[in-house]
Amino acid sequence: MSDFEIFETYQRLLKNEELSTPLAAILALTEMIEQSRAGTMFELVKELKDGAEELNLKSPNPISLNAGCELFIEFITLFPHPSANFSELKTELIRQGQQYVVEALTYRKKIAELAFDFIKDDSVILTHSYSRVVMQTLLMAHRRKRISVFVTEARPRGLGIKTAEKLRAVGIPCSVVLDSAVAYAIDKVDFVLVGSEAVVESGGLINAVGSNQIAIIAKAANKPFYALAESYKFHRLFPLSQYDLPSHNPKLLSFTQPRPPGMSLKTQSNNASEVNPHQINQEQIAQNNPDVDYTRPDLISLVFSDVGSLTPEGVSQYLVGMFAG
Amino acid sequence: MASDPQMLANQRIVEDLASRLRRRQVVGSRQAALETLLVLRQVVSRARFSNVDQLVDVIRSVGRRLVDAQPKGRAHSFLYEYADFNHGSFITGTSEHSVGNTVRKVLHHIREEYHTATEGSTPAPAPTFSIAKFVSQGQPRKQQTVQKNDAAKVPLKENDPDDPDSFARTLKPVLMEAIQDVFDELETVYDNISKNAKDHIHSDEIILTLGKSKTVESFLKAAAHHRNYTVIVAETAPSFVFSSFHDHGLTRHFTRYGGREMAKSLSSAGISTFLVPDSSIYALMSRVNKVILGAHAILANGGMFATSGALLAATAARAYSTPVVVCAGQFKLTPLWNLYHEYGALDFGDPSSVLGFEEGDLVDKVDVVNPYYDYVQPELLDAFITNYGDHPPSSIYRLLKETYDDEDNEL
Repeated sequence: MSDFEIFETYQRLLKNEELSTPLAAILALTEMIEQSRAGTMFELVKELKDGAEELNLKSPNPISLNAGCELFIEFITLFPHPSANFSELKTELIRQGQQYVVEALTYRKKIAELAFDFIKDDSVILTHSYSRVVMQTLLMAHRRKRISVFVTEARPRGLGIKTAEKLRAVGIPCSVVLDSAVAYAIDKVDFVLVGSEAVVESGGLINAVGSNQIAIIAKAANKPFYALAESYKFHRLFPLSQYDLPSHNPKLLSFTQPRPPGMSLKTQSNNASEVNPHQINQEQIAQNNPDVDYTRPDLISLVFSDVGSLTPEGVSQYLVGMFAG
Repeated sequence: MASDPQMLANQRIVEDLASRLRRRQVVGSRQAALETLLVLRQVVSRARFSNVDQLVDVIRSVGRRLVDAQPKGRAHSFLYEYADFNHGSFITGTSEHSVGNTVRKVLHHIREEYHTATEGSTPAPAPTFSIAKFVSQGQPRKQQTVQKNDAAKVPLKENDPDDPDSFARTLKPVLMEAIQDVFDELETVYDNISKNAKDHIHSDEIILTLGKSKTVESFLKAAAHHRNYTVIVAETAPSFVFSSFHDHGLTRHFTRYGGREMAKSLSSAGISTFLVPDSSIYALMSRVNKVILGAHAILANGGMFATSGALLAATAARAYSTPVVVCAGQFKLTPLWNLYHEYGALDFGDPSSVLGFEEGDLVDKVDVVNPYYDYVQPELLDAFITNYGDHPPSSIYRLLKETYDDEDNEL
C-alpha cells in the first residue's frame, strides 16, 4: 500500500469551483493510479476500491462521489486492453480519466441547451438550493429570454441564498422563498427546475433535502418538475424509501429523551449563564436532519442530461448498459 | 450546380410537393409520408455526390424545404398572444409531421447503409473506448461484435479525384433498396398494426373511438374477424375527412364529421356500431371498456397530437380508469418534446365548418377558432400499438432513438 492520501487529494481538487464531487473523485482516483505500485489489474482495482471506500467514509455526503467512483472503477475493469504491458495500460487509464473530466466539464453547457428549449419567454421558474448546472441554465436563458426565478432558502445549509445573490448580480428578477412557503408560491410558478446529487436506477432523484416536498407540491399543482443531471451522476442504487439512502443513519430524526424536570435544574444551577436547558438551536436541528432526500420518479417530468432529455425510466437503461453485463 | 438539368428536375419535384403541401392537397400523415418518400427517391437517384456528407446535405435541404413549406397555423386574437413566441426552432406549426419524420428515417437508413458498405473497405479504426462512450453505449463487449470483415465487398472510395461519381455509383443501388424498404413498410403499416388486434379487443367489449383514422379502422375491422364486440363512435364535429384519394390527391371529397364516415364504414363491415354526439362521451364512458384512438403525431415524451376531441375522450377515460390505447404507425413518431403549444399544434381549420356565412349576423361579432388537433399528455395514455410492437408512453423516446439519428432532430 502506497502512502498516497486520497482524501487530501480529493479535497484539494474540490477547491476548483467547477469540479463537482464525482469528477473530483475520478481525478483523485487517476492520481492514485499514478502513484500506485500495483503490478496487476487485480491489485490496481483493489487499491482503487479501497481508495473509493476511504473517500466514502471520510466525506460527509458521499452519494454523488460514490457514483463517480463506481463509474470509473467499472470502466477500468471493463476496459479492453490489447497491450500486454501493464504500465502502458496504467498511463492509458490515467489519460482516459483526465480526458473524461475535461469532456465532462462541457456537459453543463450541453444540458443548459437542452433545457433551454423548455423555457418559454416570461417564465417563472422555481429552483431549490444551489446547483451549478441550474445556474448555467438560468444564466443562458436570461441572455435570450425573460425569466424570473423563485429560489427556496434550502435550510439547513441555506444555499438558496447563494443562488439568489448570484442571480441578482446578473440582473435576473429573483425572490427567496421559505422552504415552508413553497405551496404558497407554487401557483405563480410555471415549472420547477432542480439540480441533483444523483439520479438512481428507478429514475428517482437524490438532491438537497426539500426537493421531494417541492416535487410533491408541484405534482399536486400540476406543474412540471424537471431535474438536471450530468450523466456521471447516474447512480446504481434503488432506494424504495427515504430510509434506504446510504446517507440515512439512526441518529437522523431521533427523538430526544425528555429529562425529568428536577434533574436538569440541579445540574444547570451552577451555570452562570442563564440558558434555558430546553432551548433548541439551529445547529441541533441541522444535526438531527437529513442533507438529502429521495424524490420518486413519478413526480419527475423529465431528466435533462448530456445524453439527452430522458423520461425518468430512461435513466435505468444507461445504468443497466454500464453495470449489468 | 444549379444549371445542372438533374438538379433542376430535382428542384421541380421538391417545389411541386412543397406547394401541394402548402395548399393542403396532400392530407393525412401516411399520404404525406408516401409522397415525401417518392420525392426523396427521385432526389437520391438523380443526386450527384462524391461522399456521404454531400448526399446527407442534399436530403436535408430537401427535408427543410418541405417542412418549411407547410401551412403554419394562424389563430385569431386571443390565441395570438400565445402563438406569438413561437419562433424558436422547436416550434413547428407544421401540419404534417410525418414529412420530417420520413426524411429523418431515410437519412438514418442512408447512414446505416454507408457504414455497412465502408466497413470492409477502410481498415476498421482502432477501437476507441472512453468513459463518455461507456456511459452512453454501455459495456464494450457488445459493440465489438459488429466488426465483421466482408472480403467480397466492392471497395468504396470517397472523394475520388479521378472519378468523382464512383462513390455514388456504388452506393446508389443499396440506397434505393433501403428507400424501397421504407416504402414497403409504409404500404403494409395498417396490416402490421392490426396483426395483434384480437389480443387487444375481447368478446363483448364496448370500444369507444373518435373520428376517422385509417389505422383504427383497419385495427377494428381486423379484430372483428375474431371477436364480437361493439363500437361507439363519437361523430367528432366539425372534423372533416377526405373520402377519395384515387385521383392523385387532386380531386378530393370533403366529408364533414369523420366519426360519421367511420361509423358507416364499421357497420358495413358487420361490427355493431353506435354513433354518438361528442358531448355524450363523458356520459357513456362508464359503459366503455376501452378507448382506442388514432394519432396525428406521437411526441418524444409519449404524448400525442390527435383529432380534436381526443383530449376530451382521454380525460373522461381517466375519470373512469378506462384504458386508452393509441394505434399508430412508426412514421408518426416525431422527435419533438411537446413544449408550450398545448392549444392544438398551432394548426387551425376552416372556421366556416363551425360557423358558416349563412349565419351572417353572428360572423361579424365573434371569432371562430377551429383547431385540428388536441395535445394529449402521456399521463392520459396507456399504450401505443405500432407496427414495431406495443409500447407504453414512457418508452417512446427509446423507439425514437432507434429510429432516427440524433443529429437529424432538427433538419
